[in-house]
Amino acid sequence: MTKTLLEIKEFKMHFHTDKGVVKAVDGIDLSVNEGEVVGLVGESGCGKSVTSLSVMGLVPTPPGKVEAGSIQLAGRDLTRLKRREWRQVRGNEVAMIFQEPMTSLNPVFTVGSQMIEAIRQHRQVGKKEARHRAGEALREVGISRDSILDEYPHQLSGGMRQRVMIAMAMVCEPKLLIADEPTTALDVTIQAQILDLMRRLNQEKGTAILMITHDLGVVAEMCSRVVVMYAGQVVEEADVNTLFSNPKHPYTAGLLRSIPQLDKRSDRLYSIPGNVPNPRQMPTGCRFAPRCEHVQSICLDREPPLFHITTGDHTSRCWLHGTEKEDVDRDSSRDVVRS
Amino acid sequence: MTAVETLLEVKHLKKYYPIHGGVFGRKIGEVKAVDDVSFTVRKGETLGIVGESGCGKSTTGRSILRLEEPTAGSIRFADEELTNLSGENMRRMRREIQMVFQDPFASLNPRRTAGAAIIEPLEVHGLGNRQERRDKMKELLSVVGLDSYHGERYPHQFSGGQRQRIGIARALAVQPKLIVADEPVSALDVSIQSQVLNLMEDLQDQFNLTYVFIAHDLSVVRHISDRVGVMYLGGMVELADRDELYDHPLHPYTQALLSAVPVPDPTANRERIILSGDVPSPADPPQGCTFHTRCPHVMDVCREVRPSFNNYGGNHFAACHLLEK
Repeated sequence: MTKTLLEIKEFKMHFHTDKGVVKAVDGIDLSVNEGEVVGLVGESGCGKSVTSLSVMGLVPTPPGKVEAGSIQLAGRDLTRLKRREWRQVRGNEVAMIFQEPMTSLNPVFTVGSQMIEAIRQHRQVGKKEARHRAGEALREVGISRDSILDEYPHQLSGGMRQRVMIAMAMVCEPKLLIADEPTTALDVTIQAQILDLMRRLNQEKGTAILMITHDLGVVAEMCSRVVVMYAGQVVEEADVNTLFSNPKHPYTAGLLRSIPQLDKRSDRLYSIPGNVPNPRQMPTGCRFAPRCEHVQSICLDREPPLFHITTGDHTSRCWLHGTEKEDVDRDSSRDVVRS
Repeated sequence: MTAVETLLEVKHLKKYYPIHGGVFGRKIGEVKAVDDVSFTVRKGETLGIVGESGCGKSTTGRSILRLEEPTAGSIRFADEELTNLSGENMRRMRREIQMVFQDPFASLNPRRTAGAAIIEPLEVHGLGNRQERRDKMKELLSVVGLDSYHGERYPHQFSGGQRQRIGIARALAVQPKLIVADEPVSALDVSIQSQVLNLMEDLQDQFNLTYVFIAHDLSVVRHISDRVGVMYLGGMVELADRDELYDHPLHPYTQALLSAVPVPDPTANRERIILSGDVPSPADPPQGCTFHTRCPHVMDVCREVRPSFNNYGGNHFAACHLLEK
């Protein structure tokens, strides 16, 4: 029986700015089971990073405001935590790695002192023991020389920095690792090393990973389940094989068709017309309707709910899958259809 | 088919940057950013150049326009030796060779409108009068899929994809023969990337353009190129027709690179070659073959002798001792 580790329900994070309200995340449902690798995919501005920062409690409030919903991590609602309580959770139960490790490592402290700080924040150990554990964590990620503890981040290559970040994130053995575009800044051969490392941590330590990326290749190789976001909403969710072989939402299908293939060449790439909508002026009805080739009159009028496709866990937010009446979700405990 | 005409010929191109140090700031070493690279570009084709960061692909591209002054080597463009041209003549020559950059925001002046950015190269090269230049600007905007009112806007008012369209319109303004595009789509989202790639292909047909397309994304390069060159640590390790290179890579580095690309197909079951370690520093490149420190097939000779760049049939060039037998 798999247990749900992270469960985000109807979560809304809005930003109140001088120029209006930006609905960065507007009612998303997402769950990660223990030991699972879930991909969260979408283009810039779709809300995937705000979602992950919300799980870490790193969205500044104000301007951010949780408008509705909850984020449950191992049974605890993170949206209600106080600052002090956050420190217990962050780095201990859930840790995060970022796209550019240089900006998340402090340039004026050595790798060792930053790791020791993280360890001693969460564990009652002396400096010596903490240093020993830091060295062990680095060996886990394939850095065997201890001298790295006395080096500064700028002395390391991009791949090494990302390894250090992963070691630092894993040092307290969190149950959930959030990886926000962890390999986007890295070269292909280094990316392969880091993905290999993350896969190993998942398998050996059972760490669940929420993998946030725009790279569908990375998703296909790493994840067992995929959630696709567009303009602050989840538009499709399915297991990885279903999503790639039988995408249901026109956005997902369009995205898959617009990637150039490595093993075969098409004469012309498919491209989704237009641009992502302005988050301050979301279109009424379906948010993808202005760019969709299957658009019908209902799409411009009413926002589609997440429809269940067949019996599995495949959901898609599109009116093509039926009308509201016939497709109301009855069997699932999750209230999927909202109007 | 008519005989293929060579538009650009780069021979033994080298670009070294001095490293200064010590008390007197004397030269204590060299970064060999580009170290003996040769290739040709045929008229109307797209030559893709791939490689990881620091392999010298951008420096090679910039050297073609002499935005970086080559240390040695020859660059012949349409029977003219570019390395010998005076500054003024080189500036005129850039009417024929234009560049499109990765970050269109960084290459546009934030205080000038998109229209002014497109008109600027026309002014520099003294083309047309004021009215003609404005008409040309509007025409170019529509060619790249924007509306003429976009000319009045400032760079920050555009999305990334639109800015790249402006960058392309600007490069097209002087009707160049060759466009060197340095990572033109790597800052863009997937759905926008395919729009820009399609646009570049359409423009190539429409204006009979030749492209040197520099990128790190192997899938993008395969899509757009006719021939592809792979660079590693300042050198060209392999160069072949597109399908030949992707289907039958000869060099161990190309093989590893291709196997490392994540493919958007969860059912794909591929043999993966994971290279260990990082790319060595170009300030202190390894002796012999530059790839020998990471090569899974390294032999003794690789540590001593630099392999030569040979044709292994069908214009498939590679530099590897495994092939030299």
